[in-house]
Amino acid sequence: MPQSIIEVSELVKTYGEVTAVDSISFGVEEGDFFGFLGPNGAGKTTTMRILATLLKKTSGSVLVNGFDVERRPNDVRRAIGFAMQDISLDNLASGYENLQLLGVLYGLSPKQSKARAVELVEMVGLSKVADRWVNGYSGGMRRRLDLAGTLMHRPKILFLDEPTQGLDPQARRTIWDYLRGLNSAGTTIFLTTHYMDEADSLCRNLAFIDNGKIVRQGTPSDLKSGMGGDLITLQFAADVDIDQVELSISRIAGENSAIVAKDHQITLTISNAQALIPRLIQDLNAIQAAPISFNISEPSLEDVFVKLVGHSILDDETQLVKGHDPFVEGRR
Amino acid sequence: MTVLNEIGYLFVRGLKQSMRPTAAMIPSLFMPAFFFIINSAAFSALTHLPGFASKSYLVFYAPVAILMAIFFSSGDAGIDLVVDITSGYFDKLMIAPIHHLSIVIGKLLAVGLRAAVQTSIVILIILILGGTIVTGLPGFLVILLIGGLFGMAWSAIGMSIALNTKNQRATQSSFILFFPFTFITTSQLPLSLLHGWYRAAVQINPVTYILEAIRALTSTGWEWDIIGRGFIVAIITGMITISFVMFSFKRSYP
Repeated sequence: MPQSIIEVSELVKTYGEVTAVDSISFGVEEGDFFGFLGPNGAGKTTTMRILATLLKKTSGSVLVNGFDVERRPNDVRRAIGFAMQDISLDNLASGYENLQLLGVLYGLSPKQSKARAVELVEMVGLSKVADRWVNGYSGGMRRRLDLAGTLMHRPKILFLDEPTQGLDPQARRTIWDYLRGLNSAGTTIFLTTHYMDEADSLCRNLAFIDNGKIVRQGTPSDLKSGMGGDLITLQFAADVDIDQVELSISRIAGENSAIVAKDHQITLTISNAQALIPRLIQDLNAIQAAPISFNISEPSLEDVFVKLVGHSILDDETQLVKGHDPFVEGRR
Repeated sequence: MTVLNEIGYLFVRGLKQSMRPTAAMIPSLFMPAFFFIINSAAFSALTHLPGFASKSYLVFYAPVAILMAIFFSSGDAGIDLVVDITSGYFDKLMIAPIHHLSIVIGKLLAVGLRAAVQTSIVILIILILGGTIVTGLPGFLVILLIGGLFGMAWSAIGMSIALNTKNQRATQSSFILFFPFTFITTSQLPLSLLHGWYRAAVQINPVTYILEAIRALTSTGWEWDIIGRGFIVAIITGMITISFVMFSFKRSYP
């Protein structure tokens, strides 16, 4: 039976009156690719920083590689690599210098550190620029170097906090390939992200977190099959009475369905989606509310999240951009 | 890996950080040289005042330029630290399996060496422009030592602000402390010509004693009581400010 390399039990973190992490428990098996998903401010980064010994917990128990994070922090640190959300490099040092310093601080000899740095810059495709100062690197190059830095001491567990945020699609796929390779080689990966496609593509197990609580855990396929069917997405014109449409659809769909209305779009989750479409269109035509377009699809992790918590991960982001949530910094 | 190894690696990193890019060091060399040239010319007539012992204002003012070199070179330490903190690089060092105080100690030592290097460059400029070091090479080395010590002490103020505020602008604002600490001293006139509250303020300013120690080494000779007092003040100031850095560090990163 696989052993848990990360064990979290009833973990709580509070900042004054604000509870950032609210009694969460989960385990990550050795060799797993584990995704920790949720919107900004959900408690992902706070949890990860506690696991990586950067933040003290308020209560609960956290074991990483068998060591208590607060009693044996250096034993935990030797076992982990942590790529933080904001790429953290010494900008006025070369790629090699960045890596070599980390190597010696993790106990490699200068000679070993130099050899490992050469190996890693080659792996991440930065050999040609590794002698240059990092302040001239692109975002994708910086992320690859940052990732290489976390691997200098061959960690058993890799913590990645939003590792592809802000990168273009090509750079994201390059990072994904590295991560798959590392995981195949035996590295346990703990990933936080709010990109559901990233989690779906990479992770074998997932936990959804919202408002500091874990709302569901499982494999991506289990979580999606728990939706109870496929999705029908209907888009309506702006002058259509969306409440009346929702009422009409709920009558047709029956009790074993879920409806989410947002702006002028309705998303219906139902098991017999294909068979239902003709009747649905017919009835909507009858009330002068024919959809502009419709689409049938398998549920995504984003759909699972919406069903579980009643809002999208991206809804929270939009709100944050509009109105700077004062609690977010405290929660992260 | 021993603590000394850790400190050594972080000292080298701190030194590179504080000296890169090279062009960024120019203002901290330019300002002391500028003040030295302008003030030694502008106030040269002050030597005619009764009680003004020095015959050359340039020689009298040279220690102020050296002091400025120390201030300017060590003043960046807080900025370097807050950049590390806000960029997340400090967290990267914090999750390395090392003694955390090595991070601060390595940085302080790097600041001390940079202060000594910049001090020696400014002394060279002073010598080229007609200044003197009457105590010769040994005196020069003693100036570098006191400069390095006081550089560490001064840098600890900016580092404490960086650790407590984690804010670049707040840390940058510590620069204003340079003005009272530099100018409420015997920088312009000897103590015997100062009066009233200003004289009292000068006497309680620890920088006065550093300045007088450097002045003894550059212009009057091996006056051990003045030089010794300068060292004691530099060490006590360093103990206070560096203790505050350590306290701030422990408080910010328990």
